[in-house]
Amino acid sequence: MNHVKKRPIDEVGKNPYPAFAYLNGKHPFKDQVPGGRVEYKARYKKGGKVAFFNFQLAKEMGLINKTHAEVMSADLEKEILETFSLVIINEYDLINEIKFSEDEILPNTFMATRYLQLQHPDKTGKTSGDGRTVWNGTVRHNGTTWDVSSCGTGGTKLSPACNIDKKFYQTGDPSISYGCGLSEVAEGLETLFFSEVLGKNNFKTEKVLAIIEFDKGLGINVRANPNLMRPSHFFGHLKQGNYETLKQVADYYIQRQVDNRVWEQSTFKSDKEKYYYLAHQVAKSFSETAAKFEDEYIFCWLDWDGDNILMDGGIIDYGSIRQFGLFHAEYRYDDVQRFSTTILEQKQKARYIVQCFIQIADFLSTKRKRSLNEFKKHHTLKFFDQHFIVCKNRNVLQKIGFKKNQQDYLLKSYLQLVTKFRNVFAYFERAKSKRGIYKVADGISRDAIFCMRDILRELPQLYLTRGTQLPPKDFTEVIKSSYAKKRDLRITAIRRQQIIRFQSLYMELIIAAGKGTAQNHNQFLLEITMRSSIINKYDRVTGDSITYIVAKVQKVRPKLSANELYQLALQFSSYQNLNPDQKPINPEVPVRHQNIMRNLYSIVRECREGL
Amino acid sequence: MRLVFYSGGDEKNNKSLDKAFVEILDKKNPVVTFIPSSSYLSEQEFRVFVKHYSQFKITKFIHFPIDVPFDRILFQEVMKSDCIHLAGGNTFYFLNSLRKSKIMPRLKKFVKDGGVLTGLSAGAIMMTENIEMAAYPEFDRDENNINLTNLAALNLVDFLFFPHFKNSARYDAVFKKYTRFNDKIIYACPDGSGIVMNGPELRFVGKCYAYFQGHKFTIN
Repeated sequence: MNHVKKRPIDEVGKNPYPAFAYLNGKHPFKDQVPGGRVEYKARYKKGGKVAFFNFQLAKEMGLINKTHAEVMSADLEKEILETFSLVIINEYDLINEIKFSEDEILPNTFMATRYLQLQHPDKTGKTSGDGRTVWNGTVRHNGTTWDVSSCGTGGTKLSPACNIDKKFYQTGDPSISYGCGLSEVAEGLETLFFSEVLGKNNFKTEKVLAIIEFDKGLGINVRANPNLMRPSHFFGHLKQGNYETLKQVADYYIQRQVDNRVWEQSTFKSDKEKYYYLAHQVAKSFSETAAKFEDEYIFCWLDWDGDNILMDGGIIDYGSIRQFGLFHAEYRYDDVQRFSTTILEQKQKARYIVQCFIQIADFLSTKRKRSLNEFKKHHTLKFFDQHFIVCKNRNVLQKIGFKKNQQDYLLKSYLQLVTKFRNVFAYFERAKSKRGIYKVADGISRDAIFCMRDILRELPQLYLTRGTQLPPKDFTEVIKSSYAKKRDLRITAIRRQQIIRFQSLYMELIIAAGKGTAQNHNQFLLEITMRSSIINKYDRVTGDSITYIVAKVQKVRPKLSANELYQLALQFSSYQNLNPDQKPINPEVPVRHQNIMRNLYSIVRECREGL
Repeated sequence: MRLVFYSGGDEKNNKSLDKAFVEILDKKNPVVTFIPSSSYLSEQEFRVFVKHYSQFKITKFIHFPIDVPFDRILFQEVMKSDCIHLAGGNTFYFLNSLRKSKIMPRLKKFVKDGGVLTGLSAGAIMMTENIEMAAYPEFDRDENNINLTNLAALNLVDFLFFPHFKNSARYDAVFKKYTRFNDKIIYACPDGSGIVMNGPELRFVGKCYAYFQGHKFTIN
C-alpha cells in the first residue's frame, strides 16, 4: 500500500472519499500568515487503527456523503489512516540525521501555529504554540470552511519542554511527558464525550472527528471546527508589537468569518471599522460565553493568554475543562506554581481578553501600540458588561423553562421582575457550606449547598398539584444538595424571606409569561414542567463523571469497534441532551451496550453534584 | 381496587381503554403521576404521556422517575395523586428500581386507599403477582441484563398479564404448556386491548385471550 497522500488533483473524482484529499497539510494560514507558523515535513505513521470516527460530523463537513452508512468500511478506514496517521519530522530528527524511507514521507509540509502561552519562559509568544499538534488543512462544504488539526503528531519546537530545557526532543522521548509530542487515546475520549454533550447543549466547542489508536494507549486525536483560531494566536504578536503579523492574523481570521457567514456584517468602509467590528464580535461572544460558563457551571481556566478558548468563545482543550454539578464558586485548580481562576473570576478574564482586542483594533488602525490601560473605559467594554447581564437574564429564564419567544417577551416587558428573580436565584445558587474552603484532589473548593436544578424541576409540578407556595421547610427539603449539612440549612429570618421572595417572583414570571399564550394557568405550568424536566434533568454530567466514564470506556474499549464507540458516544450525548427544543432522538441501544450505558448513567448520577 | 392494564399500542388503538380509564377515574381535575420504567429519556415519554391524557382535560401531572433519588416532598404529592401510571420498558429493570426505591408497599396502600393504578406493558405486568411473563416465552422476552432473580411484583390480582400478544400457534403452544403446570390464568392482550378492574368487576376491553389449565379461551 502506498501510504503517501497524493495531491488533491490526483484524488478528486477517483475515490469514494475525495474531500479527504484536501487535508494534506495545505492551509490558507500558512500562506497568509508566514510569521504565525512553523512548518514540518511529515511521514506516515504505521501501526494505527481507527478507534473512533465521527460520521455525523464528517457528513456535516462533507468528508463523507450525506447518505453514507454510519459504519466503518475498509475503504474509509484506509482513507482516514492515510490522511491522519502521520508524525512530523522535527528538529531532533533533522539534527540527528535520522533517515526515513522516502516512500513514507508525505509530499506537503504541515504547520504548527504560534500562539501565546503563559507557561513559556519567554512570555511573549516568540517560542510558544502548537507543541504536539499540526493542522491538516481545510475542507469547505455547504458554505462553511472547516479547520482540521491533529494532536499527538510529534513534538514541535513550540512546546514548553523544548523552550524550558532549551533542547529539541525526539518524538516519544520517555524522559518527558507533555513535551514528547504524543497524545493518549484517553485524551481524545475525554474530549469526545465532553464535546458531544456540550455541543448538543448549544455550547460552541471543538469536535472530535477521529481518534487513531496506536500501541500503549497512544493516539492521534483529530479535531475540527469552522475556525480553530484562539485569542492567543493574536496575543503573541500583540505582545511583541509585531504589527505586520498581527494584521495578517486579524485579516486571515476576519476573512474566514466573512466567508463562513458567521458575522452579520461582511463589508467594511475602512480597516478601522473592520478591526473595531472584530473587537465588538469578540465582546459579544465572550460576554455570552462568560455568562453561559457561569450559569452552566463550566470551569474553564480563562487567562490573559487566551489559549484555552476559541475566538468565538468555543471550548478547546478539554484537559482543563470541568462542569460542576452545583455552583462551587470557590473551586480553584492547583497548578503547582499558582492557583487557577474561580468560576466567578472567569468573567473578568473574558473582559480582559476583550480589552486586548480593543487594543489590537487601535494598534491595527493607528500602527501605534498604546497601553492596554488606555482602553479600560472603552465603550466596547461597556457593551460587554451590558450584554453579559442580558445573557444572564436570558439564561435564568431559559433554565426555568420559558421558550425563546417568552424569554424575549419577559426581557422586553418585565425586565425589572426578571432582574429581581435572577438576584434571588443567585442568593440560593451561591450559598456556601459553613465547612469553608478545603483541599480536594486537584485543588481547593468550598461546597455549594443548594441544587437549583432540583428546585426548578420540581417547583412547577408542586405548584400544579398543590396550587400554593411551599412552606420554607418543604422548599429547603427540595433544594438542598447532598453537600448541605444541618447547620447549612437553618431557616433564618433572611432565608425565610428569600424563600418567599423566590417563590413569589417565580410565580409572577409564570403569570406574566402565561398571559401571552393561549393556555390557561395549569396548562402553562404543565408546559413549564415538561420543559424544565429536560433542562434540569436529575442526571447531568460533571467533570468528574467524564473522567470516570472515560476510564470505564477505556476498560471496555478493547472489545469495542470504531462503530460501536461511535454509537456509544451518540447514545450518551442523546441521554445528556438537555435541550427541550431539539427533536428527541431515541437511539436504539444494542443489548451489548445496555450494561455499559447503565454503568455510564450510574456514574453520571453518582457524580451529579460534584466537580 | 381500581386498576387498568394496558397492553400497548398507540393513541388510536387505546381509545376504548382510555374511555374506560376516565370512567373509573371519575374525578374532575385529577392529578396523574407518571412513573417511567427508567429515567433514561423519560422526559420525552412524559411529554407523550401528557399529550395523550391532556385530551381528557387532565392538566395536573407529576413526572416521577424512581431509579434516581427523590425527595419526600414530591413523593408525598405522588401518593396524594388520583392516578399513578406505571409505564412500559424493561420489566426487570423497572421491578428492580421499584424495589430499591422502597415504594412498592406504598403503591399497594395507594391502591387499597382508592387510588387508580394503571400500567402499560411492563407497568401492567408489575401489578400482577410476579413478572415471569416478561421472561416468557423465550422468543419474545425482556432481557434480564441485571440478573434479577426475585421476580415478585405488586401482587394486586390473581391472574398473570401478557402484553403485546399476537394470536398465533407459537404463543398458544407455550402458554398452554405454561398453564398446564401453573394454576394461574394468563390474560393475553394484543396492543389496544386491556383489562379494567373496578372493585370486584373485571372488564375486558378489545379482544383478549385467556389461557388456563392448558386451554385457550377467547374473550370479546
